[in-house]
Amino acid sequence: MLFIDIGIAARNLLMHTRRNLFLAGAVATVTAILVLLGGFTDGMRSAMLESATALMTGHVNVGGFYKTTSGVGVPLVSDYSKVLAETRRLVPELDYVTARERGYAKLVSERSSMNLVLAGIDVTKEPGLRRNLKVEQGKLEDLAAPGTILLFEDQAKRLEVGVGDVITLSAPTSRGVNNTEDLRVVAVARNLGILSSFTAFLPSQAVRALYRQSPSATGALHLHLKDPSQAGRVAARLRDGLGHAGWRVMDASAEVWWMKLMKRVNAEDWTGQKLDMSTWEDELSFLNWILSAIGAISGALLFVLLVIVVIGILNSLAIAIRERTREIGTLRAIGMQRRKVLWLFLLEAMMLGAVGAGTGSLVGSAVAAGVNGMHVAVPESMQMFLMQQHLTLAIDGGGVLVRALFIVLVTTLAALAPAFSAARLKPITAMHHIG
Amino acid sequence: MRPLTFLPSLLLLAFAPRAHALTQQETDALVKLVDERQHNNGDWAASCYMESREKGKTDVVYDLVYYRRTEGHRFLILFTNPKSEAGKGYLRIEQNLWMYDPPTGKWERRTERERIGGSDTRRGDLDESRLGDEYTARWEADEKLGKFEAYRLLLDVKEGVDVAFPRVRLWIDAATRNVLKRQDMALSGRLMRTSYYPRWKKVHSESKGGEVWYPEEMRFFDEVEKANSTLILVRQVDLRPLRPNMFTKAWLESKSR
Repeated sequence: MLFIDIGIAARNLLMHTRRNLFLAGAVATVTAILVLLGGFTDGMRSAMLESATALMTGHVNVGGFYKTTSGVGVPLVSDYSKVLAETRRLVPELDYVTARERGYAKLVSERSSMNLVLAGIDVTKEPGLRRNLKVEQGKLEDLAAPGTILLFEDQAKRLEVGVGDVITLSAPTSRGVNNTEDLRVVAVARNLGILSSFTAFLPSQAVRALYRQSPSATGALHLHLKDPSQAGRVAARLRDGLGHAGWRVMDASAEVWWMKLMKRVNAEDWTGQKLDMSTWEDELSFLNWILSAIGAISGALLFVLLVIVVIGILNSLAIAIRERTREIGTLRAIGMQRRKVLWLFLLEAMMLGAVGAGTGSLVGSAVAAGVNGMHVAVPESMQMFLMQQHLTLAIDGGGVLVRALFIVLVTTLAALAPAFSAARLKPITAMHHIG
Repeated sequence: MRPLTFLPSLLLLAFAPRAHALTQQETDALVKLVDERQHNNGDWAASCYMESREKGKTDVVYDLVYYRRTEGHRFLILFTNPKSEAGKGYLRIEQNLWMYDPPTGKWERRTERERIGGSDTRRGDLDESRLGDEYTARWEADEKLGKFEAYRLLLDVKEGVDVAFPRVRLWIDAATRNVLKRQDMALSGRLMRTSYYPRWKKVHSESKGGEVWYPEEMRFFDEVEKANSTLILVRQVDLRPLRPNMFTKAWLESKSR
């Protein structure tokens, strides 16, 4: 029976090829745009995850703050080997873990200065960093030597330094004494979006020397999971597990660590060590506005396009009903139920939507593949926000299918009103209709 | 110890009438000789006039006294003028250079690159010359610097030694063995600063049992920010023993109370 209905609907659609082709084209265009917009935001999100997990966060972080007095906290985990052992026990999903020093200092060159977030690393144990960084000058391996630093292009440009030049780091220690360290620039890496604009990498030893920290302490443990989507669950489990194991643990808060330090930690009345678990999304919460803004722009654009499609379908079906009023009257007179008339018109719209959405999905995916293949350079001014050097649209089959089904649903729902009015026609009135 | 090891080369250099290509041994001996001539085996106090010119800013003039003690490589700078800077100072304790700021009463640890009082002067410019300990030298050329015959040497910092500039080019007067000109460079080879030492003076040191040479006038030109420069005139040198407790934070703090 369904095949007969499909056949009738298809025949009706084919009878008005030109009009329906135009309408299917509009649906296809909207679907293609939706697929491309989705690919754009997914690409951005995936670039953000990739660069963020390489530069400043693990999928889950076990960080913390140590306060010698209630008003002054420093971002560190004391005696971290014990925390690491317990973490390994609690997280079987762990792929690998890195210990990173955290800091914030003023970098002074001969001509300029700027404040940067410091990431103290052991470059030999940072596979993610090695994968993501594109070193333009110098060698990443040289960062294993003490007293060295890696800067990003924009930082090096602003400080007017290159490989071999020396810069001075200046920062207060936890005891409030200003300390300085001279570091030699050994590598300049290509910018990696907004995150690379405020982070510099140096050996852990250099950060410890600057802050006069013990080697048994670290800034945070960055946990890289086999499945990043488990980050929230793992963070919650660690919060409970480490709390039960005797560590004092901070409440969950979707903020980057330095915001926590400035806004909360120094204002709270406690001393000693507290651990803080965060996910990569927490650490990037200050960038959510970029995704929200792009989402809002995409949403507005999509809404306008959908309105156009809905009006098109309403108009097209209204014309079809007017043209086929006598036919509807005859069908109703020989016994077709109202529900069946409604179903036939909805089926027509659904089929039109399916053909349009299917074509649009294919076209959108092909265009995305073409754009990815062409390595279209993102303008420098936009790279900071898009976190990409080359425009990359992330297209996955599941996402495309969901978007196509959404369009089919919208076109079907748009046909509801005209289909109802067709179903409501009285056979006698419809058969007398002249048009 | 130093003069004896290099005695043959020193003798050769001492009687060399003019500049000529130096062997590595002669180069090392020359650098040692430059150090040795400025070495004072005891205490040292010198008052200085320092004039700092910075692009877009008013010239600043300072009076300062710097103290040295050979034993333990002790070093201290005390600013005495202008009034706003009086009491400010730098103190080296072991390998750490500390700066004291009297208005805040705080000590800050600074590195060898620290610009003394914000000028183009570094700690090493006022301290005893230790080029032989800090750098490996090689002869580059014999050159005429104005009317002077000079040896041009290139010095690279030794592994693990902390200095303001890792690479230095020196022009040493072939006749007097005094440094005439110095270029300080970053490891990248970028020229950072050029210094001139137009006037040298000597004082007799009882603790050394000989003469101690020092540059009476030093001119530093910033090669990165071209308009910046600093002039230092050493006015008076006193080699009498200093009080034992001088090279302490407490002593420097007491000067501004």
